[in-house]
Amino acid sequence: MDLIYALAVGLFFGLGVFQLLRRDLIKAAMGFGIISTGINLLLLAVGAYDGKTAAYTELAQVSQPSDPLVQSLILTAVVIGFGSFSMLLSMINVIARRYQTLDSDKIDHLKG
Amino acid sequence: MDQIFLLFTVFSPIIGAIVALIASRSNVLQRWIGLLSSVVALMFATLVLRANWVEGIQVYRMGGWSPPYGIVLVADMLSSMFGFMAASVMVAGFLYAFSSHDYAVKSKAFFPLFLTMETGLLGAFYTGDIFTFFVFIELLVLSSVGLTAMSDNRLGMEAAMKYLFINGMGSMFLLMGIGALYTSYGTLNMADIAVSIQLGGRVLMATLAMVALTCSFMLKSAIFPFHFWQPDFHTTSPTPVSAMLSSVIVKIGIYGLIRLVTLLFIEEGTLIRMALGWLGVISIFLGSLSALRTYNGKRLLAFSTSAQIGYVLLGIGWNTPTALAAAILFAFNHAFVKSAMLMLYGVVASRNQAKTVDFEYIVGMGHALPPYVRWVYLLGGMALAGLPPMNGFIAKVFLAQSGLEVGTWWMVGLMIGASLLTSLYVFNSWQLVFLQEPNDHTAPLKDPAQFDSPLAPTLLIAVALMMGIFASPIIDWSMRVVEQISEPSHYIQAVPLAQERLLMLERYAPES
Repeated sequence: MDLIYALAVGLFFGLGVFQLLRRDLIKAAMGFGIISTGINLLLLAVGAYDGKTAAYTELAQVSQPSDPLVQSLILTAVVIGFGSFSMLLSMINVIARRYQTLDSDKIDHLKG
Repeated sequence: MDQIFLLFTVFSPIIGAIVALIASRSNVLQRWIGLLSSVVALMFATLVLRANWVEGIQVYRMGGWSPPYGIVLVADMLSSMFGFMAASVMVAGFLYAFSSHDYAVKSKAFFPLFLTMETGLLGAFYTGDIFTFFVFIELLVLSSVGLTAMSDNRLGMEAAMKYLFINGMGSMFLLMGIGALYTSYGTLNMADIAVSIQLGGRVLMATLAMVALTCSFMLKSAIFPFHFWQPDFHTTSPTPVSAMLSSVIVKIGIYGLIRLVTLLFIEEGTLIRMALGWLGVISIFLGSLSALRTYNGKRLLAFSTSAQIGYVLLGIGWNTPTALAAAILFAFNHAFVKSAMLMLYGVVASRNQAKTVDFEYIVGMGHALPPYVRWVYLLGGMALAGLPPMNGFIAKVFLAQSGLEVGTWWMVGLMIGASLLTSLYVFNSWQLVFLQEPNDHTAPLKDPAQFDSPLAPTLLIAVALMMGIFASPIIDWSMRVVEQISEPSHYIQAVPLAQERLLMLERYAPES
């Protein structure tokens, strides 16, 4: 199970970094979203117990429960990541209209 | 023993934000709400500082739950001093915004966002729980992105997008570090993590946590390899916001780094400190030299911030009690001066029709301002360069003295050389804007009814002058800070860990 988690987190990170470094801003924003998902998965993987049943249920009495804390952390992180992602997309929308391009190399009016 | 003022300090701005959202029909009302809630926050921050000074470290357990199961707000002297600094500079920011005529400030969302930014700032300083720290920092990042995106400067949107990409990644790495800490020590409470690190020694993931946290704090403070986003972002945001960004918000990373090397990773702290000292030297020179050749007033100050953060890092890097006290004193003083200087440029920008502070267009613009403003700017510049009688002088003397105690002569020499660079760029800009006669390129003046008031920067510089002349209380505060943080057990013992957790920790303690 740990191996699957590790591979998945690595895959998400690699894919995310690849997308983030692309020229197209929409793709870069997608990379941002993918990395934030990867981090959430990492948080899920670092739960202190490696149980497979939900915590605070009757089943949890007999087998190892899974760690509820990381799940609540992920809930918070998902909400925050969603906020950042939507804000990023809305800003890209405005920029695309204002600059008439999505090429990050051409959006460089700040140089100086 | 629970100190309710702590809760009020963090929550008065966000309550203000909610009320300001409800009152979004009237911009004047929003301005009053913003000013009022920041003043209330400052009042409570002062009370916390006072309680701390008299009784020692203050703790508030949210909902009465004991840590590490519940979230705690902890105000040791470091937090209280940074919180006090943030709250007082924020009051000046709201005072500036109160009389501002920017389109951004007239927007419905400005004051709510500005208040949530203050919440994020104060919350990050006061929290004793590392995940809550992350949440507050994200609140801060998202609010400042929103504020910059609505800036009058048309490039604000671009700067805000780049900032969100870069600092969003920084926050993710912070979250990764927190995850790694949690898997290593099974807790999120800072005091509890500190105990566990002392007891449990090194775990593989802890190193990852250390690296991720250090890097993300360096990104938040715009320290050398991660400094590239800062000038753009600080130049384009609306004046009250950029004054806050460049003065108090960059201190978040400094605060995090101090906590990291004095509370969490004390053993590896030596390594981090050495790195920080070197990066500080680079930051000082990079910032000062970039400031010398820049074309825009606000950009000059943004580069100067990068240089001044370098001085703070030198103090952290030297790793003696005096040096640390000097670093904290420096960070404290810098916030007041830098915000005032940025606001003065905002005042200049509000005077011309182009609304710009490019040096090409504002030559001689100072003649359109009340005559005392030029002396205010001069005093601010003296404080940045570290000349007496300003507060910057005290901090720099302190720092140089501690550097000599350590025996790094050449670093002190470089520091003083960099001060010369600082005075060069500050006085050059003073001469350009306030002494020279206007020429053909100078932008035409605006209708006087649209002028921003120079009241807030004047007040801040007056405070800075007072802190330079009557410096002893602030020096005492920073000495007390160092007394507390040089011995992590002060912090750890102040946080009332739950009985079960203490038993658990005892069981895991090594036999030796």
